[in-house]
Amino acid sequence: MKVFIVPPNSLILFDLVERYGHEPLSLMGAIHERVVNPEIESPPVNVTPEDVKKGLKYAGIEVPSGIRGRLAVWGPLVDQAEAAIIMDDAPFEFGCVGCHRTDEMVRFLIKKRKIPYLEVRYPTNEEEAKLMVSKIKAFLEGLKK
Amino acid sequence: MAKDNETETRMIVISPSSSVTPDQITRLLHNSGLEITIKETCYGAMIEGPKQEVGKALVAVRKLDPNRIFTKVRGFPIGDARRCRAHHGSRPGFTQLEIEWDCLKLVEKGVCAAEAGEKITEKPRAPKLSVEDLRKIIDEVKQ
Repeated sequence: MKVFIVPPNSLILFDLVERYGHEPLSLMGAIHERVVNPEIESPPVNVTPEDVKKGLKYAGIEVPSGIRGRLAVWGPLVDQAEAAIIMDDAPFEFGCVGCHRTDEMVRFLIKKRKIPYLEVRYPTNEEEAKLMVSKIKAFLEGLKK
Repeated sequence: MAKDNETETRMIVISPSSSVTPDQITRLLHNSGLEITIKETCYGAMIEGPKQEVGKALVAVRKLDPNRIFTKVRGFPIGDARRCRAHHGSRPGFTQLEIEWDCLKLVEKGVCAAEAGEKITEKPRAPKLSVEDLRKIIDEVKQ
């Protein structure tokens, strides 16, 4: 099954989803498709006119352009997802730094789609890490049934 | 630069608790005869090539230390001028990588426990410091 991860660029979540037999939907995969596209030359030109239109599907015109731009990439991944894993209480460096509103919007989109999702806490010690991995494993194994 | 979606770039990250070195990984992959590009890095290695070949490489690498070697896809190809430090590219993902690398020593314990079928019970986290307690601390320090 296709599992969306939040934050979508997380190494830990990507690896665990793949390790337990599912396909992670990550930001890196979506970015790869874009950066090998000759239409995008280099930053700051990192979206296409088509992306801007896609973003409008997920957020209104009054929403800041940065959020719409990010949602143009993340939104289609949420649409494809059959399940999701969300990491909570993480340090600020963890995940896509820069736009907490996009993060909130993505959580909203996931919950709105009514797909199975799991919320786990960022581990700060060994016990919490064991709990996090056991929860993720049980959730992903449950998806196979 | 990668040509199409058939090409995949992967980051291989070694947990700080592992005894495997980036050099071991690159030597193993160089000797495997797979048609992939390999770049040794401080945290492990980056590999790039056709998806199938990359998949074979990952299976081989994971065998070195299954619970302490982690991987994820990388958006930008190896040596891409927009990201590569050799071309003065920016490294916007570095803080994320640094913090996750540090956390891997904990995650690895979780993976080992899950593999062993260890039963884990959830314990509530310690509550956050209340304003009253913070005031008390400030008053103590003042004196």
